Amino acid sequence: MTKKNKSAIQRRLIPTYIFLIIVSFFSVFPLYWMISAATNTSTDVSRGRIIPGSYFMENFKNLTSQQPLWRALGNSFFYAILTTVICLLICSIAGYGFEVYHDKGKDRLFSILLLAMMVPQVATMVPLFKMFSKAKLLNTSIGFILPIISTPFMIMMFRQNARAFPVDIIEAARIDGLSEVRIFFQMFIPTMKSTYAAAAVITFMNAWNAYLWPKVIMTDNKAITMPMLIANLITGYVTDYGMLMCGVLFCSIPTMVVFFVLQKQFAEGITGAVK
Amino acid sequence: MKKKVLTVLLTGAMVASMAAGATVVSAEDNDNTLTVWAWDQNFNIKSMQIAADQYAADHEGFSVDIIETSSDDCQTKLTTAANAGDYSTLPDIVLMQDNSYQKFLKAYPDAFTDLKDMNINWDDFGALKQSYSMVDDTHYGVPFDNGAVIACYRTDILEEAGYTLDDLTDITWSKFEEIGKDIHEKTGKYLLTSEATGGDTLMMMIQSCGANFVNEDGEAYIVGNETAEKCIDLYTELVQNDVVKLVNNWDEYIATITSGEAAGIVNGNWITATLMSTEDQKGLWGITTMPKVDGVDTATNYANNGGSSWYITSNCKNVELAEDFLASTFGSSTDFYDAILPETGAISCYLPAGESEVYNEPNEFFGGQPIFSTIVEYSSHIPEFTKTPYHYEARECVNTAVVNIVNGTAKEDALQEAQDTLAFKMTE
Repeated sequence: MTKKNKSAIQRRLIPTYIFLIIVSFFSVFPLYWMISAATNTSTDVSRGRIIPGSYFMENFKNLTSQQPLWRALGNSFFYAILTTVICLLICSIAGYGFEVYHDKGKDRLFSILLLAMMVPQVATMVPLFKMFSKAKLLNTSIGFILPIISTPFMIMMFRQNARAFPVDIIEAARIDGLSEVRIFFQMFIPTMKSTYAAAAVITFMNAWNAYLWPKVIMTDNKAITMPMLIANLITGYVTDYGMLMCGVLFCSIPTMVVFFVLQKQFAEGITGAVK
Repeated sequence: MKKKVLTVLLTGAMVASMAAGATVVSAEDNDNTLTVWAWDQNFNIKSMQIAADQYAADHEGFSVDIIETSSDDCQTKLTTAANAGDYSTLPDIVLMQDNSYQKFLKAYPDAFTDLKDMNINWDDFGALKQSYSMVDDTHYGVPFDNGAVIACYRTDILEEAGYTLDDLTDITWSKFEEIGKDIHEKTGKYLLTSEATGGDTLMMMIQSCGANFVNEDGEAYIVGNETAEKCIDLYTELVQNDVVKLVNNWDEYIATITSGEAAGIVNGNWITATLMSTEDQKGLWGITTMPKVDGVDTATNYANNGGSSWYITSNCKNVELAEDFLASTFGSSTDFYDAILPETGAISCYLPAGESEVYNEPNEFFGGQPIFSTIVEYSSHIPEFTKTPYHYEARECVNTAVVNIVNGTAKEDALQEAQDTLAFKMTE
């Protein structure tokens, strides 16, 4: 490639870059605004100040004095990690089973499962509540996580990705005398790391952000999670925007960290790569 | 590595089974503890806590367990519990917005306990306030905060345009428009700020006439309702003549005030707490009565917007204790109301409370006006009106009609649409 050609290509890319810069500005600005608002007084935020201020510690102090921030963070971590671990285990076994084993009714069962994806969560709330109340699971951690530890979407995702897992490996392992359980734990899981990473990010975020169901069945202040805490901050008669944004910041950091740590695997897992 | 993954999974399973045992159980079933739902740390939660502390002084061992539950969440939880037929998740006492309570009592009458046997003098509360929590002469709720409407104005901006607070006291909306236009010309500021679809201005206008957008049978009544049309005409004119700044949501509504773009706000008196959080406007505000609707015989300068009451649910294990607690604090104690006022700014609906010294103290933020006793006084003049469980639906329909008229739709069409939409919503 000549030098002239190269610069022509670069010139052609200029509009693309300009477009990308504008789009990324729009997606990054809310994050910037969240951080800058967390450092300003409520009045300044309301007046539209976007430069970071020096009020962060005050906002933080107000937040911790009014709301059980550490408890909410702890609860959120507990429920989100627990849900993620169990959900990954159950859904990957289900997805793996659907793909690897053969049975007549398998595809029909899978269609029913996918059909369940179409039912909105709100529509199932009252029947779920009834079931949980009969089973005496209201106001329990089990009641909190049970409805979200196995989702049709996750099973489908694991099944899709299990397709890329070479059948030869399974057969070779069987010949070598590995039990089915050990094939799954020792061959499948390590190979599908990127799928697990993607699933972990999605499940963690969903569990972290869960609001409606936990709020309906948990009736104890001790069970407060971060989304509930944020909701408490905006339902008062006077909204302290600085304090609110400080809370939102604390609520967003964990999901951001999880995403950034698993970002590479996430992209691979979504596109279904096996290494 | 393989082992590591296995370990993680097994640990996960272990934690899960442990969690199964260690369930979160609500506060121990203590006969002397009442659970309460309320939604504002600095306001109703604090008031409830103070009430509990006062009651506990005479009743050893008494305490409340307050669970912060927003008004919306309270409604979701109540609806779910009622539909599932299991009220066991409900607390003993719940705080509900006056405007939404009727709907719930109508839909789930068995969720609440009536207060027929309560030892309380109901006449110590304004008639309108009582009516929010009553059905057919039976009381269900103990009134809490006052929702009397006040008009707050920036006296410095008024002065700049050559007006005083007196010029805006006990006036009509057309006089208000005249002054508003003049102020906008002279200062570039709006005399009033209002939300476009979620705003209460129109509701306050019609209720100040003792009327509503529904008739006595509870049907939508907008087309052919003279009072309704008068209110809508006046309000539309205010918007078209730059007297009212119409904004999209609550945050913008507050921003027009903090930025000084609007010189006035008409709303329930709880708005004072928001105004007072803008400390650099201290001393610049004044309160007075809201304007009244022109040409309507029943029109007054008083209305109600917001406010809430305490209800005892059917899940309450110790109704006697709950009734006695509410009656001896919220229901009859001026000492209690005197104690919560400086701490929370919660203004009483209990009329005798307005006469106390605490209520008559001048307020520096409002230029030394004794705003609390003034507000309690306003609340005794508010006319009763036909209530509807579809308050919020009606509000949305008429506000949409105004936005449509401002955008060029013919008035008849816009009103007909509002009427039809509201009638439809009532069938849902």
